[in-house]
Amino acid sequence: MKKKIIALFLFATLMLGLTACSEAEAEATKLVIAARGGSHVDAMNAVKEKFEQENNVTIEILGLEGADLKQKISLDSKNATASYDLIMADDPWMPELCEAEIFANLDELGVSGDEDFESASLNLGKYPYATGKLYALPFSGNVQLFFYNKEIFSSEGLDVPTSWEEVLSAAKEISETEGHIGYAVRGQQGNPIVSDFLPVYWAFGGSVFNDDWTAAFNNETGIDALNMYIELYNAGANYEKADIVSSVSEGSAGMSLGWPSWYISGENASAEYAPIPSKAYNSSMESSTGMIGNWMMGVTNNSVNKEIAAKFLTYITSSEIQKEMVNFGGVPTRKSVYLDEELIAKNKHFPIQLEALTNSVARPRTPKWSEVETILGAELSAALAGTKSVEDALAAAEVEINALMQ
Amino acid sequence: MKKQIVFHHIMTLPTILILAFLTLFPIIYTVYYSLTDFYYLSLASSTYIGLDNYIKILNDDIFRLSLRNTLKFMFFAVIIETFLGLVMALIIQNKKKRVAKIYRILFLLPTLLPPVTVALIWQMMLSNSRGVINQLLSYIGLGPYNWLQDVQLAMPSIILIDVWQWSPFAFLLIYAAIQTVPKTQYEAAMIDGASWGAKFIYITIPNISQAIFVVILLRTIDTFRLFDKVNILTKGGPANTTTTITQYIYQNGVNNLKVGYGSAVSILMVLMVLLLSSVYIKRAFGENNG
Amino acid sequence: MHNRYRLISKLTEHLIIIWTLFPIYWMVNIAIQSTRLENRVSLIPISLTWKNFQRLFVEEEFASAMMNSFIVTVVALSISLFIGLTCAYILARSRFKYPVKPLLLLWILLVRIIPPITFALPLYIQMNSYNLLQTKIPIIAAHVLLNVPLVIWVMMGFFKTIPRELEESAKVDGATEWQLFTKVMVPVVLPGIAAVAIFGFMMSWNEYLYGVIFVQSPGQFTVPLKLATLNSEQELIEWGKVASGGIVSMIPVTFFMIGMQKFLIQGLTAGSVKE
Repeated sequence: MKKKIIALFLFATLMLGLTACSEAEAEATKLVIAARGGSHVDAMNAVKEKFEQENNVTIEILGLEGADLKQKISLDSKNATASYDLIMADDPWMPELCEAEIFANLDELGVSGDEDFESASLNLGKYPYATGKLYALPFSGNVQLFFYNKEIFSSEGLDVPTSWEEVLSAAKEISETEGHIGYAVRGQQGNPIVSDFLPVYWAFGGSVFNDDWTAAFNNETGIDALNMYIELYNAGANYEKADIVSSVSEGSAGMSLGWPSWYISGENASAEYAPIPSKAYNSSMESSTGMIGNWMMGVTNNSVNKEIAAKFLTYITSSEIQKEMVNFGGVPTRKSVYLDEELIAKNKHFPIQLEALTNSVARPRTPKWSEVETILGAELSAALAGTKSVEDALAAAEVEINALMQ
Repeated sequence: MKKQIVFHHIMTLPTILILAFLTLFPIIYTVYYSLTDFYYLSLASSTYIGLDNYIKILNDDIFRLSLRNTLKFMFFAVIIETFLGLVMALIIQNKKKRVAKIYRILFLLPTLLPPVTVALIWQMMLSNSRGVINQLLSYIGLGPYNWLQDVQLAMPSIILIDVWQWSPFAFLLIYAAIQTVPKTQYEAAMIDGASWGAKFIYITIPNISQAIFVVILLRTIDTFRLFDKVNILTKGGPANTTTTITQYIYQNGVNNLKVGYGSAVSILMVLMVLLLSSVYIKRAFGENNG
Repeated sequence: MHNRYRLISKLTEHLIIIWTLFPIYWMVNIAIQSTRLENRVSLIPISLTWKNFQRLFVEEEFASAMMNSFIVTVVALSISLFIGLTCAYILARSRFKYPVKPLLLLWILLVRIIPPITFALPLYIQMNSYNLLQTKIPIIAAHVLLNVPLVIWVMMGFFKTIPRELEESAKVDGATEWQLFTKVMVPVVLPGIAAVAIFGFMMSWNEYLYGVIFVQSPGQFTVPLKLATLNSEQELIEWGKVASGGIVSMIPVTFFMIGMQKFLIQGLTAGSVKE
């Protein structure tokens, strides 16, 4: 028994020793990319070989879940030598990360944000937003669209709604049929409900903040929009993402907002799509709406391979490579890719998506956005659940957010 | 005599060394930064603000709510899990060897799954329109229920999932304890003509009381730390009904890298758990010093 | 009366089995069907496929993740058991006035109470400063940290139930302290050891938080990290991969648990020694 224990312990120590040795240094330079796991990683892995060969580098891509990615790139930014040469960031993180000087200035590295990039996407990579220097390029161009079920619409004789008033009346009509719900709301507290509600609010002409960063939603516009949202819920149901997609696709729900990648893959779209209604009532003015949700990519400030990393960044966001990545689930950010005839044939939604990008709205550019989103998410959830009145919820959110922004 | 003392010290030395190496710095770090406004990404250095963090936390309605939620969750989860664990252990007691072996394996399966998988599978089962639970309920005319997004049902759903996942933990510890009860005690009782109930009350329970104790203590501590299910399934909602303390820490300290604030909440939480388990601790210390 | 009691007990038993196994059945159900989100997954599997498992290994490089998980788990568990058992034994049975004992107990409890989130950042900083991040040492150390308090607290309980007579009779037979520990004490508490070993293995195998904070390159991924990337915001969750991932992940743990089964019941013979 004693011998067994000693043997086990020796074995354990041996294993420890073996596995403790770091990997041998590669001959060629190594670029490490910290990325959002899933299709982004797949797409990059599919197209990186050419660059690797031409430049004698090996490229390693670390795919992580969203919140983890943010944590890791934040932690690594304070290290003397970077573990990651290139990093991906969700666009709402840009203000916070730029303020912390995590990104290297791309202008100085010879990377240009040329005209072909969709401007709404490109602006996200500049700090300050839209006017400042370039710190990241848009890598993946996601934007919200409006989705509806064709069968329901044709059987009820409905037209594609162009205002939220129409959405509501359509929803009510659809709900009258047994087993159908009109509109699927994504009401989970936090990012889901905020992403689901803001397009409605924006279509009503509202904005989250005033120019001086005080809360701008506790007013008639905000109350109107939130009431509309709750009425949509009453003429429908509160589902989470998988349910929304399946019910709109199957035909048990009429309409919802969503990200294209939920419904569309290549040629196949499981539901019809349209731009998000951009006005509140038929008589209202149109406003930009549709939340833009791009993944940006930049070079880290503490990288030791900045030049090569910058070169890769140019490569991976080039028109040619973006076209290739579409085949692996990539989402373009360049106009030339969206307007490419061959690709449009295989991805019929591209023109509409480009239009949606042009008319999209970015989430407010503040480093404190994630905290703002938490507060809004909680209050909106309370209003939806009925534990607070619409007025109370918005008022409470205003107070908290103003306190936060000071 | 001296040899024994040396032996005793050698036996505890590895643990002390490892704990020292791995926990001293983090504990000091946490305590220190809880008294500052440290924001990890800040370009400026942090400033000392004394107990400001603590005061802010205690005044935060959401923190107080998260505390209530956590206590509620802890209370129900611990009681149900311990009880179920006991029932499961007793079920196997009366089985034949081979059958018992299979039962043991089956009962343990929920605990073996990765937490992410457990959360996602239950999310799918509980989903509003496509979930199999609602489907089954519809056959008997009930539902559909919006399990994870209804203000009344969200917390019970989380409790349900936790009970499913961790009752096997209680089961295994209690079962192992039952195994160490000397058979001769049962034999003697049988000779005396004791009923099943009497055997249970006077033999089984006293012998496994230590294990039940440990189960309650460990589950109390663990349920207080409930995080991943809430983070994946409800993000603390709806309307903050499932926001637990660790979720609060995550949102306010980890996610936005406000290390100062987050550290302060952690310390408050630790103090609270120590308070809750003080009964058990005193008992453990009391016995040990005997 | 007796019959009604039996009926209730049978009913309870069946309910618990259904309750325990249904979600797992459901998971297997999803994994072996070609699930497209539009269709409801049928209650009974109809169109069977191995595709989900295939895709898991091809697309997600699951095999290397399993290897990493395996190394980390086995090493961490071995270390935890060794140092945990030795320490628990002393804390439970030592007759000597051990002045630091309450402090040590409190410390161990504290380590268990503190949420791992809190320790994650400082440990990262610490390991980074020692330049260990490229190795497996940080994650193994973190797992030992997570496991040891459980081992100690549970095994203390088990060690305490051993009667003094056993100890004395062994000493009369001329056993040294170490022999007393290994040949007498440990065998008696084997069920407890088996239990904490199962939990330790499972905890380490499924551990996510420290895994993600210490990982630096894709080659270092453990199984939970791979599974986490399947949960996406802007994309649909691929339920097939989630389910098959869960099942494959569960297999090694299950095997380990089955292996430990015989130690769980060994106490039956040891129990007679107690008298």
